[in-house]
Amino acid sequence: MKPKSDLPQGTLDLLILKVVALGPIHGYAVAQRLEQVSRGVVQVPQGSLYPALHRLENRGLLAADWKLTATGREAKFYRVTRKGHTQLETEAAGWQRLTQAVSLILKMSEGGAG
Amino acid sequence: MTWWHRLVHRRLHEEQLEKELRHHLDLHTNDLMGQGYSPEEAQRQARLALGGPEQVKEMCRDARGARWLEELLQDLRIGVRMLRKNPSFTLVVAATLALGIGANTAIFGLVDALLLRPLPIVKAPGELVLLVRGNGQGSTLSYPDFKVLRERNEVLSDLALYTQAPISFGNNVRSEVVLGAMVSGNYFDVLGIKPAFGRGFLPEEDRTAGTHPVVVLNHSFWQSRFDSDPAVVGKTIVLNNRPFTVIGIAPAGFDGESPPMKVSLWIPVMMTATMRGEIRHDPLSDRQDENFGAIGRLKQGVSITQAQAALETINRQLELSNPLPPEQRLNSNDDRALRLLSPQGIMMGPIREMAVTSSRLAGATVLTVLLIACANVANLLMARAATRRKEVAVRLALGATRGRLIHQLLTESVLLALAGAMAGLLLAYWINQLLMAFKPPFPPPFNFALDLSFDIRTFAFTFLLAIATGVIFGLVPALQASRPDVLPALKDESNAEGQRVRRLNWRSALVITQVALSLALLISTGLFLRTLRYARQIDLGFKPDQVLEVSFNLRLQGYDEAKGREFYRQMLDRLERLPGVQTTSVTNLVPLGFMWLSTPVVPEDREVPPNERVFAGSVSAGSKYFETIGTPLLRGRDFTAQDTIKSPPVAIVSEKLARRLWPEIKEPGEALGKRLRVGRADSISCEVIGVAKDSRNNIFNRLDKEPEPTIYRPFAQNYSARASLIVRTDGDPRGLISAVRREVAALDENLPPQNLQPLSETVSLASWSARTGAAVLGLFGLLGLALAAIGIYGVMSYSVSRRTREIGLRMALGAETRDVIKLIVKQGMGLTLIGAVIGVMLAVAATRLLTSLLYGVTATDPTTFAGVVLFVIGVAVIACYLPARRATKVDPMRALRCE
Repeated sequence: MKPKSDLPQGTLDLLILKVVALGPIHGYAVAQRLEQVSRGVVQVPQGSLYPALHRLENRGLLAADWKLTATGREAKFYRVTRKGHTQLETEAAGWQRLTQAVSLILKMSEGGAG
Repeated sequence: MTWWHRLVHRRLHEEQLEKELRHHLDLHTNDLMGQGYSPEEAQRQARLALGGPEQVKEMCRDARGARWLEELLQDLRIGVRMLRKNPSFTLVVAATLALGIGANTAIFGLVDALLLRPLPIVKAPGELVLLVRGNGQGSTLSYPDFKVLRERNEVLSDLALYTQAPISFGNNVRSEVVLGAMVSGNYFDVLGIKPAFGRGFLPEEDRTAGTHPVVVLNHSFWQSRFDSDPAVVGKTIVLNNRPFTVIGIAPAGFDGESPPMKVSLWIPVMMTATMRGEIRHDPLSDRQDENFGAIGRLKQGVSITQAQAALETINRQLELSNPLPPEQRLNSNDDRALRLLSPQGIMMGPIREMAVTSSRLAGATVLTVLLIACANVANLLMARAATRRKEVAVRLALGATRGRLIHQLLTESVLLALAGAMAGLLLAYWINQLLMAFKPPFPPPFNFALDLSFDIRTFAFTFLLAIATGVIFGLVPALQASRPDVLPALKDESNAEGQRVRRLNWRSALVITQVALSLALLISTGLFLRTLRYARQIDLGFKPDQVLEVSFNLRLQGYDEAKGREFYRQMLDRLERLPGVQTTSVTNLVPLGFMWLSTPVVPEDREVPPNERVFAGSVSAGSKYFETIGTPLLRGRDFTAQDTIKSPPVAIVSEKLARRLWPEIKEPGEALGKRLRVGRADSISCEVIGVAKDSRNNIFNRLDKEPEPTIYRPFAQNYSARASLIVRTDGDPRGLISAVRREVAALDENLPPQNLQPLSETVSLASWSARTGAAVLGLFGLLGLALAAIGIYGVMSYSVSRRTREIGLRMALGAETRDVIKLIVKQGMGLTLIGAVIGVMLAVAATRLLTSLLYGVTATDPTTFAGVVLFVIGVAVIACYLPARRATKVDPMRALRCE
């Protein structure tokens, strides 16, 4: 079994936003999608998924509607609001910058060792 | 979505949350079954992956934010339920808090009325300023200076003038003396008030002296004296024996600009000379007559500091042009700078200072009582927390966070405090009724009218205090109770050793605090009681017992000097013949009455440099004055009927005055025959014919201070239209009151006798602050001690019940009852003694605050300290002994089995 890494602090919200931005989606699907997309590398404890969803909804970054699923059950579908899209862009950009900077530093130290 | 929305749709949200999580679980279970798990195993796995449903829900609720109101409502519901489940506990706690909070509310109401409340009724009271010259006494301006200040300043939208005077008011049935005010024509306009009926003053009524006898009546005065008859406007009433036309009624609730003194009527300032009965002197053109006060309204956007600077510039110019040297001005203050005060509470300088001191003291006292009450309640809560540990543990186990639990426990204690505050408000009302009985006994017409009814500020104060109180006494028990050691609690190991010790330590600290605080309170009380006893023992230099006083102001009634002399002669004659009367006399100043006159006295045989000038109390005394008032004559003779206006001027000096004027004399008798002048150096010279014992006769001087030098001159040679007759009787002077009233009416039925009361009542004003301090502190001190005793008792009972098994064991092993009692009492006494030591240190620090109110006793009087410490220890011994004795009644067998 591959070791699963914990999520860095604060990135869960960003990942959820990104997943939901692809189209209206319910909670369980978000969990699945996260796991699939990250190829099982990222472990999202389901217990903290829902509080995160509710937190984002409360902050106005997500909105929710109750709709019927393909199987005919009622479920809560989340979608990203305009505010959420803006937030996603800024946070994604920030994340890009950060990862670039981090990998740059890591490369430097590799070079130093070699 | 607003928090309000969320609150209203709380149930809907709960359902949706439930549905969402169920949906998740179902989908996950399905997927797992697809992977080949059995249905049971799939369900189990799904549940494990999600985590405890209640915990997830709780986190989701938290994540939604703005939950405080929801939680608050929930906490309140739980709180009310808990309190109703334990009615006796609730009652005891609420009653304890009611005492503490009620005392604070009462004192706040008093402080509010005395110091904080803005002038009622007037428009925008924040813009009003009082102009005070020098050190803060009420009236400090002359009319000419007022005019200059009014015209030259650019910081006030307008400035009004006022001066108060007793005025005799006759309405055919009964005449009385009331407090009236002479005011400038713009007075009501500056204050921004309109008469309830009729009109205010017209410009022409403010122009020429003595020509417009018109009057505006106080609303409550109009209600009580004229039965609220609006037709009185336009009618004529008699003031100082002159007809005045009533032109208006002031709006209800307005009593003038100087509470607590209540002004009954307002007259144009142009009538001042007429009202004061001045004939030669024109108060409106005399710059020395600084008996006027001024109240102005700041212009928009001008701050009080800016206005003060601007007005002080004008004042400085006025001072430069003031022709008289400072010591000859009527109010000779060293510092004559102009200050601006915003009218709040009572503004009379010396009374306000006294009020500030007393308020600090009273505030500290009631706060201490509240702290003691809080300590008691905290104790009770901790004892109860022990029985609630299971409930708390269950809630913690079910996913409640510690913060949430503390929140809920605090809500409960705040609820308790609010219940206490409600009862406290009732109690405060009652305490204030009681406090009003202690109002300073100023003689009429200076009615001390203080409105102690609760206003919105008092309610707000009480509410905030209750919340703060709830948090203070609830915090420690809440922190304790919510400590998340779930397992032992669920296993009912309530006697875990560590637990007991820790909890007892908190409780011990509370007992120590209580003992210390109540000790400090009681020591303060003790000091006041000693002061009071000392005040009784002070040799006043006169004997107020068995003396009746009655005062008149004949000038108000329009008597000229000849008519006045005749009146006093006939009155003395009539009084002397009443049964039970020993001697009678007349004087301008009753000793320790609410008035004092001081005059410079110059010896004729030597030059005195101006800075060593001697000032002495100036008393006019009829013959037999010294015998009647009870002041011994040390040397020389008394005034007699032969000392008349035509005979050579004579004077009697007090011993102190003799020694001040002639420092070289060794024996008071040597002053006899020497000559002195009273007032300025060019006044008539008098011969000293007697030396009297020193008398503590000045009310404005503290009783323990050296008596002031006094000069006595024959009433005949120094007539005063305002005078008092004094009557020494065989027994209780009260018995003569109605007879005296009859005799006065027989001479002039329109003349109101004032201060018709035993002299002992008049002089009681002098010891008022000590009496009030002792009463108020004593009341609260005993209250504090009672609460502390209950606290000690509670803690000791708790400790005994915890040690039942140990005690049983000891007794089974042969311990005597005495040993057991000793054991328990020793534990309680340890706490008490630590508390006593801290209390004594506290008291030493706190009594500094009292120094200005105490006399005849130092603030660290060892007798008081020792006495109070012994008393408190005695009470503590009893509080420990009772539970200890109960402990010995324990049946050893049952005690051993009880766990």
